[in-house]
Amino acid sequence: MNRRRIPEGFPWVLPSLVVLLALSIYPLIYSVKLAAADRRNFTRLFTDRLFLTASIQTIWLTLSALSIEFLLGLALALLIDSLARGRMFFRTALLIPMLLPPVVAAVAWRLIYNPQFGVLNGTLRRLGFHTADLTWTSGESSALASVILVDVWEWTPFLFLLLSAGLQAIPPEPLEAARVDGAGAWRIFRDVTLPLLKPTIVLALLLRTMDLVRIFDQIFILTQGGPGTATETVSLYIYRTAFRFSNFGYAAAMSFVLLAATLLFSRGLLRAMRAR
Amino acid sequence: MKRTRAGWYEAARKAAALVPYLAAVAAVFIALAPVYWLLTISLKREVDQFAYPPQWIGFTATLEHYRDAFAGGSFAAYFENSVLLAAISTLAALAIGVPAAYGLARFEWPRQWDHRIGDWILSTRMLPPIVTIVPLFLMLRQARLLNSLTGLAIVYTGFNLPFVVWMMRGFFEEVPKEIEEAAMLDGESRAGALLRIVLPLVRPGLAATAVFCLVVAWNEFLFALILTQTEAAMTLPVGIASRVTQYEIKWGAMSAAGVVAMIPVLVFAAAAQKYLVRGLSLGAVKG
Repeated sequence: MNRRRIPEGFPWVLPSLVVLLALSIYPLIYSVKLAAADRRNFTRLFTDRLFLTASIQTIWLTLSALSIEFLLGLALALLIDSLARGRMFFRTALLIPMLLPPVVAAVAWRLIYNPQFGVLNGTLRRLGFHTADLTWTSGESSALASVILVDVWEWTPFLFLLLSAGLQAIPPEPLEAARVDGAGAWRIFRDVTLPLLKPTIVLALLLRTMDLVRIFDQIFILTQGGPGTATETVSLYIYRTAFRFSNFGYAAAMSFVLLAATLLFSRGLLRAMRAR
Repeated sequence: MKRTRAGWYEAARKAAALVPYLAAVAAVFIALAPVYWLLTISLKREVDQFAYPPQWIGFTATLEHYRDAFAGGSFAAYFENSVLLAAISTLAALAIGVPAAYGLARFEWPRQWDHRIGDWILSTRMLPPIVTIVPLFLMLRQARLLNSLTGLAIVYTGFNLPFVVWMMRGFFEEVPKEIEEAAMLDGESRAGALLRIVLPLVRPGLAATAVFCLVVAWNEFLFALILTQTEAAMTLPVGIASRVTQYEIKWGAMSAAGVVAMIPVLVFAAAAQKYLVRGLSLGAVKG
């Protein structure tokens, strides 16, 4: 094949390349220009207390939601996988939270969380608990945890789905061999299942992390970043900076910090996918 | 009759076997209770919505909130916008992306350019939306496409395109090359072979890909929030969100709109269930 000729497949790919250049790459360049127009956009990043708060909270939210979702998702996947009957039913029912429009899910949780007339405090009160201090999303100290809880509810199904598929793809022979060798359930899980599941785990965690660092919808509906700055995240702060205060340059500068974080993860992700 | 020791043991074993099922049922309850609660709020009269103790069952059902939201209210218009937007952007993403997927899957590329292009296309999907949204907002404002479905449809097309290319490429690679080669020997053109021979073979995959695009466009919130700020161009999620942030919230109408917004997603998900894993993991775990 003559290497200097245009590859035969190129015309097929060209329209996609043009669209993506116009809608992804050009905006990125535009963004660099916006941010670079004023050097203070970058120096401000290091002195902005609110940006620091938002970053720390984003990291905290990402790490805690991710670990809870992973552990719960893995436990659920193992649990459902061990059932003799009804696996299909449980699998389908457990997926529903993540399929809903995030806005609708968040609206449902506002109805649940409301301290005065929400169903959560209502039910707890009915069971004899004292609920006056349970403020959920409207309390400064409990708001972030409440947001994390919603994310766990909504996205544990994602970890569950991927890990379930990973479990089903494990060939039965190594498990059998371990059992014949007299290994206990825990040993089999730790030394056979877990290593074989590792590629799926890495992929699921990376995909989820990339979504968590950009979290916006649920928080926008649940708390708008409040009370005070208790649930402010980087995405929310960028949104406010650009579209409430019309400071597009600074918003662009902040978005590059988020982009850098995402690039780190997406490189790992591509490598994990290639490794399969 | 007195049970023997073995009989007790047997009974305990049976009870223990039930524990995993109880745990699974509890998990399903937690997963579905919030959805069910939203549904009840949409069906309750206003006096019952926040009654104490909370009424899970046995309340007087009414459809007035659905009438409020859709017959008299503006949610019907948002609904129409969302339908149009999802349909148009999905069709556009398929029309542009399917040939690219085919091109990457089927032709000889020098020096692994197919992998490089494929990775690059996928990496655009990983851009956080908040990064491109400021420039896209300014670009669309300049083009006078803010607050229009056209503008949003263009953005959604670009958003779904990498996904279409990535998914369809996997499906095309599963079709043996010989099938089209035979058709082309019989005088079909390359495009003819794709349209008449290959696409029908990958129809389930194509349908699943379309469903994913529809769901993404239907659920999308951030772009819609920023790019459509007028009543006339609002989508369903933005319409619902704009009601939550108001001072006085009409929970009934909003819940009704929420219930209606989730129905198509659930129907679609049921239709594409076989491909959920593959779609959600960008094909990395073949489902």
